[in-house]
Amino acid sequence: MAEHGQHSVQHAAAGEFDNMELVHPKTFLGKYVWSQDAKVIAIQYGVTAIAIGLVALVLSILMRLQLGFPNTFSLIDPASYLQYVTMHGMIMVVYLLTALFLGAFGNYLIPLMCGARDMAFPYLNMLSYWFYLAAVLILMASFFVPGGATGAGWTLYPPQAISPGTPGIDGGILLMFASLSVFIAGFTMGGLNYVVTVLQARTRGMTLMRLPLTIWGIFMATVMALLAFPALLVAILMMLCDMLLGTSFFMPEMLNLGEPSAHEGGSPLLYQHLFWFFGHPEVYIVALPAFGIVSDILATHARKNIFGYRMMVWAIIIIAVLSFVVWAHHMFISGMNPYFGFLFATTTLIIAVPTAIKVYNWVLTLWRGNIRMTVPMLFAIGFIFTFVNGGLSGLFLGNVTVDVPLADTYFVVGHFHMVMAVAPVLVVFGAIYHWYPKITGRMLDDTLGKIHFWVTFLGTYAIFYPMHFMGFAGVPRRYYGYGETSYIPDSMQALNAFMSVAAIIVALVQLVFFYNLVRSYFHGREAGPNPWQATTLEWQTEHTPPRHGNFGAELPVVYRWAYDYGVPGAKHDFLPQNMPPEAVEADDTVPGRRS
Amino acid sequence: MAWLWWGMLAFSTVVLVVITALWLYAFRGGRRVDRSSRDEQRIARRWIIGGGLLLPGLSIVVLLAFGVPAGQRMLPLPLPDGQQAERIEVIGHQWWWEVRYPEAEGGEVVTSNQLVMPVGEPVDFHVTGEDVIHAFWIPRLGGKIDMIPGRTNVIRLEADFAGVFGAQCAEFCGAQHTNMQLHVEAMPRDDFEAWLAERQAPPEQSDDHAAARETFVEHCASCHRVAGVSDGQLGPDLSDIGDRVSLGAGRLAMEEGAISYWLRHHQQLKPGNRMPSHDHLDAETLDALGAWLETLSP
Repeated sequence: MAEHGQHSVQHAAAGEFDNMELVHPKTFLGKYVWSQDAKVIAIQYGVTAIAIGLVALVLSILMRLQLGFPNTFSLIDPASYLQYVTMHGMIMVVYLLTALFLGAFGNYLIPLMCGARDMAFPYLNMLSYWFYLAAVLILMASFFVPGGATGAGWTLYPPQAISPGTPGIDGGILLMFASLSVFIAGFTMGGLNYVVTVLQARTRGMTLMRLPLTIWGIFMATVMALLAFPALLVAILMMLCDMLLGTSFFMPEMLNLGEPSAHEGGSPLLYQHLFWFFGHPEVYIVALPAFGIVSDILATHARKNIFGYRMMVWAIIIIAVLSFVVWAHHMFISGMNPYFGFLFATTTLIIAVPTAIKVYNWVLTLWRGNIRMTVPMLFAIGFIFTFVNGGLSGLFLGNVTVDVPLADTYFVVGHFHMVMAVAPVLVVFGAIYHWYPKITGRMLDDTLGKIHFWVTFLGTYAIFYPMHFMGFAGVPRRYYGYGETSYIPDSMQALNAFMSVAAIIVALVQLVFFYNLVRSYFHGREAGPNPWQATTLEWQTEHTPPRHGNFGAELPVVYRWAYDYGVPGAKHDFLPQNMPPEAVEADDTVPGRRS
Repeated sequence: MAWLWWGMLAFSTVVLVVITALWLYAFRGGRRVDRSSRDEQRIARRWIIGGGLLLPGLSIVVLLAFGVPAGQRMLPLPLPDGQQAERIEVIGHQWWWEVRYPEAEGGEVVTSNQLVMPVGEPVDFHVTGEDVIHAFWIPRLGGKIDMIPGRTNVIRLEADFAGVFGAQCAEFCGAQHTNMQLHVEAMPRDDFEAWLAERQAPPEQSDDHAAARETFVEHCASCHRVAGVSDGQLGPDLSDIGDRVSLGAGRLAMEEGAISYWLRHHQQLKPGNRMPSHDHLDAETLDALGAWLETLSP
C-alpha cells in the first residue's frame, strides 16, 4: 500500500512550462470558441458528442417503434429503418463513445491528473476538435442528400455498401467515407497530443507507476486508437477507389441484374479483415478508459486503495496488446477453416484472464472498504455487473462452434450492447456525476441522480436481456420485420413490444439527467475544491473550476501514488498525491490544500 | 452441440451468481474482522490466482477441448469407404435463393426459394453469392456460412429427421434482407429422388392458359425461366412455382390468387425488389397470368 509512494522521487518533468508561457486569451471567442485550453476543448467535445449521441438515441427509438409495433408508423419504411440501424451504430461507437472518452474525458483529465498546465500541443488540440465537429456535420448532412444516409450497416461491408440495392449509395455512403476520414485525421492530432502529454508533461514526482488508472486507461486506449484507426481509413479509402476509380480491391467479378460489373478479382473478405482489425480494438478503445475511470471511482468512494495497482496496469496493457490479435472471431462464418478459427478463439478467450483479474481486483478493492453509496459509486458497480454479464455472453461468441448458430442473431446484438453500449455509458454517467463538481464547482442533485441510475440500469436490462433469448430462438439481426411464412415464433413480437416500451422509458429518464445538469449548474450545492475527498491532483487545484493553466503559480509536486485512502497510522482518511511525507505527521495539515 | 451450450449457460450463470455474491459480501464485510494486513494479502492473492488465473484458464482449456472436435465435424472431409455426400448448390441473389442439383440423375434440376434434401446422410452445400454477401443458415441444422461473390464456400449438414425447416439469409444484404427466406424440406432418399425426377420434364401445359402464356413470354420471359416456355436467368426460376409455399422469398404465403395479388402489389409488399411494377397491365391480364402460374407444378 503505502510503500508505493512514501519515498519521493526528484526528477524534473520534461514538458513542464511556466504559467506565464501560456497564451491567456482575452476575448470571449478566444476563451470559449477558438479555445486552446484543454478543459474548454473537453467541454466542446463533450457537448458535441452528447448532442450527436442524442440523435443516435432518437434513431434507436425509431427502430424500436418499428420492431415493437410493425408498420404502425408510416414514417419508418424499410429503407429508412436500415439507415437508422447504420447511423445509430456508427454514431454511438465512433462519434459518441470514442470522442467522449478520449476527446472529452481525455482532454479534461490528462493535464489535470498528470499535473500539467495544458496539453503538450494546445493549438493542435483545438484543431482536433474542429476536425471532429466537421466530421459530425458531414455525417449529419448525409441525412439530407438525395437517397439519404447510407443503410449499409455500421460495418459497411462491400460489395453491398456500394452496390445498388442498399439505401444511400448515391451520396450517403460518400459522406460517410468523408466524415470518417475527417474524424480519423482529427483524432490522430488529438491522440498524438494525449500520448505526448502523458509521456512528457507529467509533473515532478509523477512516475508512470503513480499515474491514476483513469490516465492509464485513456493513455492505452489512445495508443490503440492510433494503431487501429488507420486500418479503417485505408479500408474506406480503398472502397472509395473501388467505387469511383474502378479499382478492384474488394469487389469481385459479379453480376448485378445480369450485367457483369466492371470489377474483377477483388476480395470482399480483405475488407472484413481490415475492418475488424480496427473494429475489435475499438471495443477496448471504449472499454479501457471505462476500466480506468471505474477503478478510480471505486477507490475514492470506498475509501480504499485500489487493490493490485501494478496488476491493474499490466492487465490494461495486456488487454490492449491481445485485442489486436483476435479480430477474426468476427468472421467465423465467412468460410474460414475451423482450425484457423480456433486460433482466434484461443486468443479471444485468453483476454478473459486479464479481464477476470481486473474484476477480482475491483471486488477486493471494495472488500472491507468504507463504502459511500454515492451516485458515481452506483454507476461504477452497475458497470462492473454489466461488464461481467457481457463478458460471459462473450464466451459463447468467442467459441467457434457455439458462435456459428449465434452469429448475426440478436444474441450478438444483446452481447455487444451489454459490453460496449450499456457498460461504457454507465461509466460515462458515473464519471459525469464524479467530476461535475470540479468542472462547474457545484454538486449534482443526489435524488435525481439515483432515479436516473436505477431506471437506466434496470431499463437497459429489460431492453437487452431478452435479446439474448431472441438470439437463441434464431431471430436474425437487421430485419425490419418478419415475413408471413417466417418460422420466427409469434411470441417474439410480444417480447419486441416489451423491449420497445422499456427503451422509451430509458430514453425519457435521460431527460431527468439533463434537467439535473442544467439545474445544478445554477442552483446546485457549492462543491468546494474536493467534495469526494479524493487524492488525485485535479482535486487539489487552487481554483474550482480550475482556471487556464490549471495549477496557479506553481505546479504540484507528487510524493505518492493516487490511492492513499485509509493509510494505517495517518492522521487523515486520505493523503493527496501532492502531500509531502513530513506533512502526513503534522496535526495542522488539512488534506486537500495545496502544500 | 446443444449440450455444449447448455453446459456453458449453466457455467456462466454460476460464475455470475458467484461474482455477485462476492460483491455483496465485499459490501457487507465492513471492517469488523481485524486481521493483519499480511493475512489480508494472503486471502486476496488466493482469490486473484484462483479466480483470476486458474478459473478462466481452466474454462478455456475445457471449452477448446469440447469445441475443437465439434468443429471438426463441420468440415467437408472425405467420407469413409467411397461414400459420396449429396451436392447441392445454393446461390444467393438480392433477394431470393437459387438452388441447383447438378448431380441429379437425368440432368440438372433448378428451383428457387425452396430446398429439398435427403434425410439421414451428409449433404455438402456449395454456396456463393451472385451480387453481394449473403449467408446460408438453416437454424435447426446448426451450420451457418457466408455466401461470398467470387468464392464458393462448402458446408456439410445432416438432417437427422424428416420435416420442414425454416431458413433465412443471415448476413445483411441490402434493403430486402428481411424478406429472404428459404423453405427447407428433408425427406427420405426415395422421396427426394422422386422429387428430383418429377422436375426433369417441363410442366405440362394446357390450352386454357394460352393467352397468359403469351403475356408471360412478352413481359416476363427475359428474366424468368419456365422450363419449356422461357429461359430468363435474372429472376427466380418459376417452373414449379405452383408447388411452393411462399412468394417473394417468404414475404407472402402461397394460396389461391396470391400470385396475381403479388404481381399487383409486390413493390409495396417488398419495397425495392428488383421486379419492375406491372401497372401498365390491366387487372384481368394479371389475374390470368397468376392463374396460369399457379398451375405450374410437377
